[in-house]
Amino acid sequence: MLLKYWPQKTNLSFMNLRLIGAVVSAVLIASSIFFLATRGLNFGVDFAGGTVMELEQTDTITVEGVRQAMPLNADVNSAVGTDARSIVVVKYGEADASILGEEFQALSASDQAERATGATNELVTETLKEALGITDEQILRNDSVGPKVSQELFRDGITALIAALALMLVYIWFRFEWQFSVGAVAALAHDVIITLGVFAFLQMEFNLTTIAALLTIIGYSMNDTVVVFDRVREEKRKYKKMADKEVIDLALNGTLSRTLLTSGTTLLALMAIFFLGGPVLRGMSFALIWGVFIGTYSSIFIASTIVLALGMDLNKKPIEDVPGFQG
Amino acid sequence: MLQFPPWKVALVLLTLAWGVVMALPNVVNMDDAPGFMPKKGVNLGLDLQGGVYLMMEINPDEVIANRLEVFAGDVRSAFTNVTPSERIGHLPDVKGRQLEITLTRPDAEGNFPMDEALRRMRKLNGNVEGAIGGAKTYEIEQLGTDRILVTVPAASEEALMKDALGKTMTIVRRRVDPDGVSEISITPQGNDRIILEAPGEPDPQRLKDLLSRDGKMTFNLVDDSPSAITSAQAGVARAGYRLLEGPTTGALLVRNIPEVTGADIANAAQGFDEGNRPQITFRLNSNGARKFYDTTRNNSGKLFAIVLDDVIMSAPRINEPIPGGNVRITGDFTQEEATDLAAIIEAGEMPAKVQFLDQRTVSATLGHDSIRAGTRASMIGLALVAIFMIIAYGLMGGFAVGSLAANIVLILGGLSGLGATLTLPGIAGIILTIGMAVDANVLVFERIREEQRAGRSPLTAVQAGYERAFSTILDANVTTLIAAIILYLLGSGPVKGFAVTLAIGIVTSVFTAFVVTRWFTVMWLKTFRPKKLAV
Repeated sequence: MLLKYWPQKTNLSFMNLRLIGAVVSAVLIASSIFFLATRGLNFGVDFAGGTVMELEQTDTITVEGVRQAMPLNADVNSAVGTDARSIVVVKYGEADASILGEEFQALSASDQAERATGATNELVTETLKEALGITDEQILRNDSVGPKVSQELFRDGITALIAALALMLVYIWFRFEWQFSVGAVAALAHDVIITLGVFAFLQMEFNLTTIAALLTIIGYSMNDTVVVFDRVREEKRKYKKMADKEVIDLALNGTLSRTLLTSGTTLLALMAIFFLGGPVLRGMSFALIWGVFIGTYSSIFIASTIVLALGMDLNKKPIEDVPGFQG
Repeated sequence: MLQFPPWKVALVLLTLAWGVVMALPNVVNMDDAPGFMPKKGVNLGLDLQGGVYLMMEINPDEVIANRLEVFAGDVRSAFTNVTPSERIGHLPDVKGRQLEITLTRPDAEGNFPMDEALRRMRKLNGNVEGAIGGAKTYEIEQLGTDRILVTVPAASEEALMKDALGKTMTIVRRRVDPDGVSEISITPQGNDRIILEAPGEPDPQRLKDLLSRDGKMTFNLVDDSPSAITSAQAGVARAGYRLLEGPTTGALLVRNIPEVTGADIANAAQGFDEGNRPQITFRLNSNGARKFYDTTRNNSGKLFAIVLDDVIMSAPRINEPIPGGNVRITGDFTQEEATDLAAIIEAGEMPAKVQFLDQRTVSATLGHDSIRAGTRASMIGLALVAIFMIIAYGLMGGFAVGSLAANIVLILGGLSGLGATLTLPGIAGIILTIGMAVDANVLVFERIREEQRAGRSPLTAVQAGYERAFSTILDANVTTLIAAIILYLLGSGPVKGFAVTLAIGIVTSVFTAFVVTRWFTVMWLKTFRPKKLAV
């Protein structure tokens, strides 16, 4: 059994490395903010608005053919779609009112602003269908998001992230102590910022499913942090005289085997999605894989370090465990 | 921790059996199964089965303007459809969110009949529907000696929007699904939005065409004298008339005030004329039929235009009085066009135009590809995790894998039983749960291992392991559940699907890890009584 070779009882001094961790994290956060400021996030249609179409690639439906038939500037690329299908991806924004027809030009300015995306999509779909003989079935995906909805989706996404962080803060405060909740939420914010930085650096598409992934990272990282904190609380009660630094190291070593195993199984499952789940889930699974690493790292080096810096006063008041669970 | 009385075993088995029964239709065809078994598997989201998603909005300004137009019409009847001596001369004007009525005919002393006008208008002003304390729909104010201003107060606006949204939803339903047989779902969002989901529909254009029309149908008398039309084309239309076009009729001068309106149409259908060309037939209600008969009797020889959204559909010449109220429109339609027009005419007029804010289309091909890719990824993910667990924990790992299988059955059963929708991110949620579900097992096993190392017997080690891991498992999963709930509340479409599977997965994985694995372990311990537990 593999476990024979698995580190059973480790005695690593994580807290001695906390300065290195702090430097690494500071560098990562600074470069994340730098990339977010300079490159920015590559928003998908969910947040940027506009249209994305996926066409099945055939002899006639090619990147070149679509480019020639397009009535406006567009981003046309060839890609591998879900289930290894060859596809042509077409991305575009809003066409100028002058080519959208008289009916469109007769609308009021506010109506024009709201309808331009949809009207452009209609025009492009009709034009491409006619020029290249595309059937409905060959249009694999055709998504248009207007400016109003894309702004709302973005706002809702940010609200969700902030609400999640706030609720975690409250829950941990309630179950532990304020030092722990500050540590946990700082670790979460650290994870979110660095993940955003990676998306900005790699210019991977940032869309609704990425927000879902970020929230899941928050959940996962929290999960990890809670396991460590729970152990810290337990060891602290057991060894009342021991210094905080040693208590935390003891707890981190005690949970290390579990941390590695759970990260391992989660990573295996995520790798399966990343490689086999198709392009729709690739961005999401990438974020999650990254999140497993950064979440594990941050519970050790950020959450615990902050708790150590702020100090614990678990001995001052009796803390009740979950009352009376009996099997 | 180690006691499993029969009732508890029964409860576990019942839960698992429920999961199996609920999950079964996803795997095998249940059409021939006995009646009490569920026949339908989990609902697939549009991204998995293909279809069209449309989000539309109605504009409050337009709803209010249209309501004020209607009110202006009521005022016109109250001011003019009375004995000549009681008539009140006036000019209505709807501008944005207000209606201004100017009185035009003062009496001999130069006074306008303001008090009488206000009295009649207040009589028309009903209470806001559902409001407490009898708030009025409109606010009517006197401006100077000859003008009256009508506005809509905020409380009433809310009620009007609610009413308009409800009406629009009914009309949307009747237009896109006149026979009420399709699986199209139409749901409100907020107080001004409607979401339409049409599974299996490959082309959003037809739906948008059906829904973007006002559907305002009128029957108007026509002045077709060439001189009148020419002067109207030059910009001077005869008072009370306007110039409209039609594909088969060309330009005609149509009277502004209609004789019969769409409100009087009882039903409309697509049919065929004598030459077997598609036509639209419809029947007027008794009120409409009477008005139609009167008009045709009094206007023999004139043209009678059927106008839909300011386009003349047809303008036959009146040869004789037509009783019965059966009308037909022949023209250059394809059968599909005629069917759609009939649906639009029968559904009636929209309270306001809809704007399309968000439209997404996924083809059935892509949906099938996604299901296949998702299933394959789940299977392989599951296999990898299972192998990993058995390598790491041996027999106990095997127990964990058994409870993982139970977990997947329960997730599928839960999704089917709750009528939740499975989306592609939802499938990712299941795979992620597979990876994370073992966490609870790992936490317990690690504890058991520590306890054993501290010199306890297998039974007490298992007991202590479960007891001590419980609060950690609870805390860790509550936090993930918080994230899932927020995602559900603020997410939309596919992301909501992810949140649902994640939430269900958290609940079932805690149950399976804490109850099912423990039960396996305890049974094994009691049967074989091993000296040492290989964890």
